[in-house]
Parts: sequence; C-alpha cells; structure tokens
Amino acid sequence: MTRTKPSRLSYLTTGIIKENPTLILMIGLCPTLATTTSARDALGMSAAASFVLILSNVVISLVRKFIQPSIRIPIFIIIISTFVTIIDYALQAYQPSLYRVLGVFVPLIVVNCIILGRAEAFAYNHGVFDSFLDGLGNSLGFTLLLVVMGSVREFFAAGTIFGKVVTPAWYRSAPMLFMIFPPGAFFLIGILKALVIKLKLDKG
Amino acid sequence: MNSRTWMVVSLLITCLVAGFALAEVFAMTKPKIEQQKIDATNSALGQVLATAQSFKEITKDSLWYGLNQSGAKTGIVIRSARRGYGGPVPVLVGLDLAGRIVGLKVASPAEGLKETPGLGLKATEDWFARQFVGLDSAIALKQEGGTIDAISGATITSRAVARGVAQAISKYSEHLKP
Repeated sequence: MTRTKPSRLSYLTTGIIKENPTLILMIGLCPTLATTTSARDALGMSAAASFVLILSNVVISLVRKFIQPSIRIPIFIIIISTFVTIIDYALQAYQPSLYRVLGVFVPLIVVNCIILGRAEAFAYNHGVFDSFLDGLGNSLGFTLLLVVMGSVREFFAAGTIFGKVVTPAWYRSAPMLFMIFPPGAFFLIGILKALVIKLKLDKG
Repeated sequence: MNSRTWMVVSLLITCLVAGFALAEVFAMTKPKIEQQKIDATNSALGQVLATAQSFKEITKDSLWYGLNQSGAKTGIVIRSARRGYGGPVPVLVGLDLAGRIVGLKVASPAEGLKETPGLGLKATEDWFARQFVGLDSAIALKQEGGTIDAISGATITSRAVARGVAQAISKYSEHLKP
C-alpha cells in the first residue's frame, strides 16, 4: 500500500488556482456575475461567502461520523443556512451600507454551489484541519476571481478601482457603462475562461 | 439505537442546535439593527429639512414632522414613489411651513432605485434635485408646462420624480399648519 497521500499544502493551494471553483469548475457563477459590479461589493460578497464556506467545512467535518449518508444533504443545508443567517444579521447590524448593496445575495449564499460542493466532496470525508485548509483555499480562489472581476468592471464602467479614481477625466465623462450590466459580466468571465484555457494549452 | 431512529434523532439535534444558535444571534443583533434603520432614516430626513432638530413620524414611512429644539414644527417631510422606468422612484421632499420645497432627495440604488445607470440614475444627482428647491406649486417638467428640465434620455424617470413631488404636496398640504 503505497498510495501517496496528497500533502497538506496541496489542500490549500488546489482551490486557489488549479481547481479554482468558479473559473475552472464553473460553479458558484450566480454571485460571481451578479455582485462584481464594483471591487468593494465583490470583496464584501467574497468575505461573507468565505466565512460561511470555512465554518461549514469545519463543522461538517467535525460531525461527519454522526451523519448518515442518506440524510447528509439536509444536515449540510441546515448547517450552511445557520451560518448564512448569522452573517446576514451581523451585516445588517454592523455593516448596513454593505448589506444594502449585497441585499438579496446574502441569503442566496445558502445555495452557493461551492459551499455545498466542498461539504459533499471534501469535508464529509476528511479531517477537521484538512477541511479548514480546503475551505480557506477555495475561499481564496473565489475571492481572487471576484475581486479581479469587480476591479476590471469598475475600472471600465466608472473609471475607479475600490472607489479610487485611476483614469483621466475625459474617460470618466464617457465610460464603458455596459461593463456593469450583466452582459459585461458574461463578457469578462468569457475572456478570463479563454485565457485560462490558452494557458493550459500552452503548458501542454 | 438502530440506524432509523438515529436518522431522526440526529436531524432533530442538528435543528435544535441551529435554532438555539440563531435565536441567540437574533437577540444580540436586533437592537443594533433597529438602531441602524432609525439612523439611516434620520440622516436622510435631516438632509431634506435642515431646519429641524428632530423628527416625529406621523404616517409610517411617508410623513414626518420636523421639530426644532423647543419642539415647534419647522416643516414636514414626505416620502412618495411614482412609477419610473425600472420600478418605483422613491423621493423624500422637505417642505417649510409656507409650502415651499426646501430639500429633495431621490433614493439611491442601494435604497431601492432601479433606474438605468447613465440615464435615469442621473435623477440622484444634485443639479436635478436643486431645480425643485424653492418651488411651491406647478411642479412639472417643462414640456408639461412646468419649470423642471428633464434629464436628457430619461423623461420617464424625470416625470416620475416631478409627479411624485406634486402628488406628495397635494396629498399632505393640510399638515403644513404650524
């Protein structure tokens, strides 16, 4: 029996680039497309989703021995939605301006495929610490993509990044507004996906 | 315990723990959330009726009296919303006791405005709201016989604001008595 066990570090890193949940596995696209109209909103969304993803991974891994396979999905969903409701209340109480922007997308974290996907594919049959690393890695991958998309869309549509002016006044008087509309999001994720495929093909 | 019973019991335990945790978080954040809502409303009211120190809600979410330090009425604030291009366009109007508009605020997208960015969304800009200040009657767009310049390319939104204001004033004018 010489099956090589994947290293701890790889649990952390695969989610960031190699198996980036949104760009490679193409799951969790709804929040990716809908909340990346500005860098700040994208960061807020990824922070909320990361909180839920890491904690649900840890808790599910902690109690995995007691969960029967036939009822695992309802239990996952209860655990995930509990964390989502907690972050929903916390944002309303302490970050009301961010809450008003994210609005309906906070409750929708419950059905973010990344979170249920990691619970099912990883946390349900790995240890607590490994699940934590996996959750952290996937959160970083998700955050990375959202912030990149948010920054690019904000740059083209408003001429700013994180609210900071980075373009000359002539550009801001007639910016590429369509980038903050849904077509801009599809357009951008298409370009990013094409870049990733190109990089992969070049590597062979 | 056989597996069938355990199935039920484990679900029950999960729900109980989740329920208690949520009740606790709800109780912790509730006063804070309510305070945030009051703060947000008060700051918006203060922007359209600067002469008032405090506000008294008369009709829920649509009419407030502005009071000065000694508690006398200095004006009223009305919220109204007419249909625009993408949905209702909520406006807050501050009136002094002579019935003149002293402040106007069109809700931001974060507060529920769904107009088109670059066109109807310009209704939130200062120059548009300033056109209403000082008026007391005949509040309408220029093409409808009034004095308000419509936003170019966004007549429907501009009209929703003007009609919302006009409607608000005629509906609540009896509240203007001191």
